[in-house]
Amino acid sequence: MTETSTPDRSTTQRNITQRVSKYWRSIDQLENSEEFQEFMHREFPQSASELPEGISRRRWIQLMGASFSLAAVQGCRWQTEEIAPFAERPEGYIPGSHTKFATSVELAGAPRHLLVTCYDGRPIKIDGNPDHPAGGSGSDCYSQAATLSLYDPDRQASLLERTGKETFAKDWGDFEAYARERVEELVPKGGEGLAILMAPTSSLSVTAALENLIEKLPQTRLFSYEPISRDSELAGAEVAFGKQVRTHYKLADADVIATFDADPLIGMPESVAMAREYAERREPDEKKNEAGMNRLYSVESQFSTTGAAADHRFAVKSGEIPSLLAELRDRIAGAGEEGNAGGEHDQEHDQEHDETVHAAGPSREEFLSALVEDLVGAKGRSVVIVGRSQPAEAHAIGHEINRALEAVGETVTYTDEPALAQGEDGPVKSEALTELLGAIAAKKVDTVLILGGNPIYDAPSNLRLAEELADAPHTIHLSQYDDETSRACRWSLPQTHPLEAWGDVSAWDGTVSVAQPLVQPLLGGRSALELLALFADGPGVEAKQLVREAVAGKVGDLDDAAWNKLLHDGYAENSAAEPADAALVRSGFEAPAAGEGDLEVVFVPSSSTYDGRFANNGWLQETPDFVTKLTWDNAAIINPNTAKDQGVSQGELVTISAGDQELDLPVFIQPGQAEGSIGVALGYGRTAAGRVGGMVIEGSPTVRKDVVVGLRGNWLPPVADPIGHDSYKLRTSDSMDRISGVEIKGLGRDYTLATTQDHHAIDELGLKEISQRSELLIREASLETYEEHSDFAKHIGPHTPDVELWNELSHDDNRAWGMAIDLNKCIGCNACSVACQAENNVPVVGKDQVARGREMHWIRIDRYFRGPVVEEDGAEKVDFSNPSVSYQPVACQHCETAPCEQVCPVAATIHSDEGLNDMTYNRCIGTRYCANNCPFKVRRFNFFNYTKRFESANNELMTLVNNPEVTVRARGVMEKCTYCTQRISAGRIDAKSENRAIRDGDIKTACQEACPTSAIVFGDLNDEKSEVAAWHANDRSYGMLEGLRLKPRTKYLARIRNPHPKLEKYMVLDASHKDGHQEHGHGGGGHDDGGHDGHGHKSEHSEENHEKQEA
Amino acid sequence: MGVGAGGAYAGAMMAFGTWPQVMNTGYKPEQPVPFSHKLHAGELKMDCRYCHNTVDKAGHAAVPSTNVCANCHSGANPDGTAGTTAVHMKSVKLLPVRESQTTGKPIPWKRVHDLADYVYFNHSVHVNRGVSCVECHGRIDRMDVVEQAKPLSMSWCLDCHRNPAPRMRPAEEITNLGWQREGSLDEHIQAMKDEYGDGESPLRASTNCSTCHR
Repeated sequence: MTETSTPDRSTTQRNITQRVSKYWRSIDQLENSEEFQEFMHREFPQSASELPEGISRRRWIQLMGASFSLAAVQGCRWQTEEIAPFAERPEGYIPGSHTKFATSVELAGAPRHLLVTCYDGRPIKIDGNPDHPAGGSGSDCYSQAATLSLYDPDRQASLLERTGKETFAKDWGDFEAYARERVEELVPKGGEGLAILMAPTSSLSVTAALENLIEKLPQTRLFSYEPISRDSELAGAEVAFGKQVRTHYKLADADVIATFDADPLIGMPESVAMAREYAERREPDEKKNEAGMNRLYSVESQFSTTGAAADHRFAVKSGEIPSLLAELRDRIAGAGEEGNAGGEHDQEHDQEHDETVHAAGPSREEFLSALVEDLVGAKGRSVVIVGRSQPAEAHAIGHEINRALEAVGETVTYTDEPALAQGEDGPVKSEALTELLGAIAAKKVDTVLILGGNPIYDAPSNLRLAEELADAPHTIHLSQYDDETSRACRWSLPQTHPLEAWGDVSAWDGTVSVAQPLVQPLLGGRSALELLALFADGPGVEAKQLVREAVAGKVGDLDDAAWNKLLHDGYAENSAAEPADAALVRSGFEAPAAGEGDLEVVFVPSSSTYDGRFANNGWLQETPDFVTKLTWDNAAIINPNTAKDQGVSQGELVTISAGDQELDLPVFIQPGQAEGSIGVALGYGRTAAGRVGGMVIEGSPTVRKDVVVGLRGNWLPPVADPIGHDSYKLRTSDSMDRISGVEIKGLGRDYTLATTQDHHAIDELGLKEISQRSELLIREASLETYEEHSDFAKHIGPHTPDVELWNELSHDDNRAWGMAIDLNKCIGCNACSVACQAENNVPVVGKDQVARGREMHWIRIDRYFRGPVVEEDGAEKVDFSNPSVSYQPVACQHCETAPCEQVCPVAATIHSDEGLNDMTYNRCIGTRYCANNCPFKVRRFNFFNYTKRFESANNELMTLVNNPEVTVRARGVMEKCTYCTQRISAGRIDAKSENRAIRDGDIKTACQEACPTSAIVFGDLNDEKSEVAAWHANDRSYGMLEGLRLKPRTKYLARIRNPHPKLEKYMVLDASHKDGHQEHGHGGGGHDDGGHDGHGHKSEHSEENHEKQEA
Repeated sequence: MGVGAGGAYAGAMMAFGTWPQVMNTGYKPEQPVPFSHKLHAGELKMDCRYCHNTVDKAGHAAVPSTNVCANCHSGANPDGTAGTTAVHMKSVKLLPVRESQTTGKPIPWKRVHDLADYVYFNHSVHVNRGVSCVECHGRIDRMDVVEQAKPLSMSWCLDCHRNPAPRMRPAEEITNLGWQREGSLDEHIQAMKDEYGDGESPLRASTNCSTCHR
């Protein structure tokens, strides 16, 4: 196990050539497959005449309706419109204006602190609450997409009671009577027989309601279940400290960060704040970042965004990470004793240093020795983060390491994990799902109240929950959708969306935060809090009062002024939890064995549906995965070598078997995936999600007049095929995160995967040229290079003569809008992309259309790989095993000499005097010339009426999600990023009304506002003091394809990596740097070598040298 | 030949009949309440902003809510006596107002000035920057029944956007529909530059597509 990244392939001679590959997006591109050529040669690979085929057509029609619809009244001059003013307009309310409200909700297992924009009383946009101490500006894709779920017409609209095969529509009065009956029966028994199943919550009011219920019915039993849980993390804390504590990481103070199967940038509850702190320390300019640039190590099996951001990534099976952690701990202890960071390993390393390197990435030995050196060298400023999915012992070892690194109190702090409820004798411990099943089987529980969640779908398959639950006579499920669990319960109750209900959440640091309803429940739902109060105190309890009392219990008396301030701010000041002491109960924890077999399956949350709860959200389903860029599907993610060994190919359906469980999945070959590790995303294959995420109705149910079948809507058949494959079928209660010893078998059948990774590839003539010139798109260097040549990015690519092609518009006396994106801060989290979709009414097109390259996202996040070039059997190949990843968000660049404008026959796209590339939809006739002439491939065409209006009242709800400030486009119209021109207009109008100039920072684009790492700035380039002007003047700034003389208004700041000197040889980062000079010198002519002689070359060519070449 | 002439005639009629100016200018629908702007804004000299009170704050110049009408036209008290401002409290014409006030349901006014949905017009920025109501709506204070007085076509908008200064006026005269400038045009333009600009550069009204279309 010395070289995990490249297993011994003794028959082939592999030599690293000390050269780095050009950037590539997929193996298809690298191997120049037919599919890739098709995408390259045609802007839109299939023409408009090709209708969606077969089953997917139905899906597509459903999508058009279910995720979107056109605004109510069309633009028709000759139609009379009515104006219906209020009879009594609420005070302070101005029709047609925006108001922002602070709120906090629990979404996808984490507290989110939001600022919700309401237009005429309806929420239309969600952003982070910049004032919140635990949140801050920026958000994530789940929060951004919450408005679409709010207006989802598939949400449950009425109460249903199922008896046998029949389903009856009921109202809340019926249920209140039923609940009273149940409570009357339960009270004499002290509540024996009542079970409450819910996900862990941080809500003080829900906790108070539970305590109230337990006081009245003391025998009530609490059970908690969440499919993506922190159970092993908490268990790890118990092992290490003897109590459950919550770990907080302060990345702002961390010089060295090492993650182990952890994704602190996206995948943890406080990720928004962590990502921001991480990004602040990524600034390479010491004047702006005095503490210096941090260094990120990532050890993981799956490619996460953290792995993509890491300076060094080491791919290893999840099962081997505990032993790696244990070794790390021992070596850190050893290093401490000897007072020598590298210890004996240093010598070994040096010996190896000058020899030919045979591997494409560092060996385990090299990686560990560099890591130990860094971690120990930065004692007190380094931190180790162990991921949620690692076993308890791995967490305990992580705690040990942090203690040894003197990180506790510096980069790591602890707080006590709050209990679900406090009873008379201390915390009421919630029991596990298996206990509930036992209790039902033993007839100890007859009434099960399931608050939210969808356990029938997402519980471990070996529990057979559906069969067991059927034995309980009184089952009640409160849920936003009539989902799999609701179908198995007697009562199915509609739940409010978090934006519709009173509530509160505690921030991750404990800060008390309240949730206020932004709109009345649209579909008559109730919240979990209200339902608990109904059981404890009967109907008529006001949720607002419960929340106020519960919050007052924590922060002290709340008079009206204090309460209003709390609602206004969204949080109570200085209410964060006190740090807890956590002393190790012992040391030297044993790492659990990796388990048998060559192959493991690792379950990961989906980047789109999380655990399946967002399955009916078209925006999220269509958002490409962070790394695979896969949409509308999950797949078995496999390393190329593992795929070769197992004899499976890209897109092939395989059967994964683990014990008794089997699952069919398509294969997705992912460079950088740990060998032997198969990644499977949870949250797909829903059968009762809705018309977007899957809706299967078996048989033909008996229909009576008062019987409701399926969902309320009858304008479309209420069935839809499941999206993706249900990986919960593979999951059992003793292998929640990982299964070892699995087998895969190819089925020989192909499956269409809709991935966007080859779409909109910015091509220049021919593939060879692309590989030569990819540096024109994305540029990076090591910190060392940056320190020597801070303006290295400007010297990559061919020399461009500074002449104007024609008399250009002058913007000197006006504002000149521009954007800058810092690639060093971008973590590829998709928040900008979904934010843009919400802000700009970007339609959802469906899997079939995505597979044809017709996704409509105005801002896409290009993901490039780079790996070392190796010689294998005399031929040069790119090593797939451990590539580095670069992200680049690309939207319209608003070129000053925009090529799209030159070819539009109807002047539908022309330049504004502020330098915007305006797109006028009502002029566009859909020739698509502009898109064909756009070198950045940022224009999107409405091939179909994706927002077609359905003549049905049922769709009124969906129309509410649209931003009224932006036109909803029809078929045949080209569209693209406008720099959020509606926001520019709003900023201009505000400034003009107040008779002042627009101030820097007044206007923020949707992507900028959503970005958790503040990687995007926007503003007036003519204002010398503006932030965007400073970024444009930054040494690292460059424009894409500058050689075409397009003068893009969006500039990128080149990415800087901070490699450990001993591992730098595997990065070979600076090839592009030298290339640029060569190409520059030789006039861009055909050098096909593209490489250089490895590290240490930088001193060879100085600025002087460069000047000479130019002369 | 007859067919050709017929076709040409039909085409010409179609073109003429659908010409926005022909279709819309003079559009004068009957409203549920025969509210007279001539009486209220003209003779009683009520300020436009008494009712359209969001015109300088938001994109919409909101049509007043019923309770604004009821400030003067509330119905009779339950005992049949008049309130302090009960003007025409038993008028049949005001029945919809009293109905709306009782039921809380809006009065369904007919929209007279209706721009296409792909046009984003903002009242506040015009009113706050010296463009009077009268420039687009005409002499509302002389209309018993409101009609569309101006074509509201794109070229008509652009006429003003390309040369705004002559049609601007001092902020305090915005709702004085009968206001006439004194002195020469040049003096007026300079006054407008002083009031709304920096006194030097020409007043700028954007003519970019994205100003109105987004």
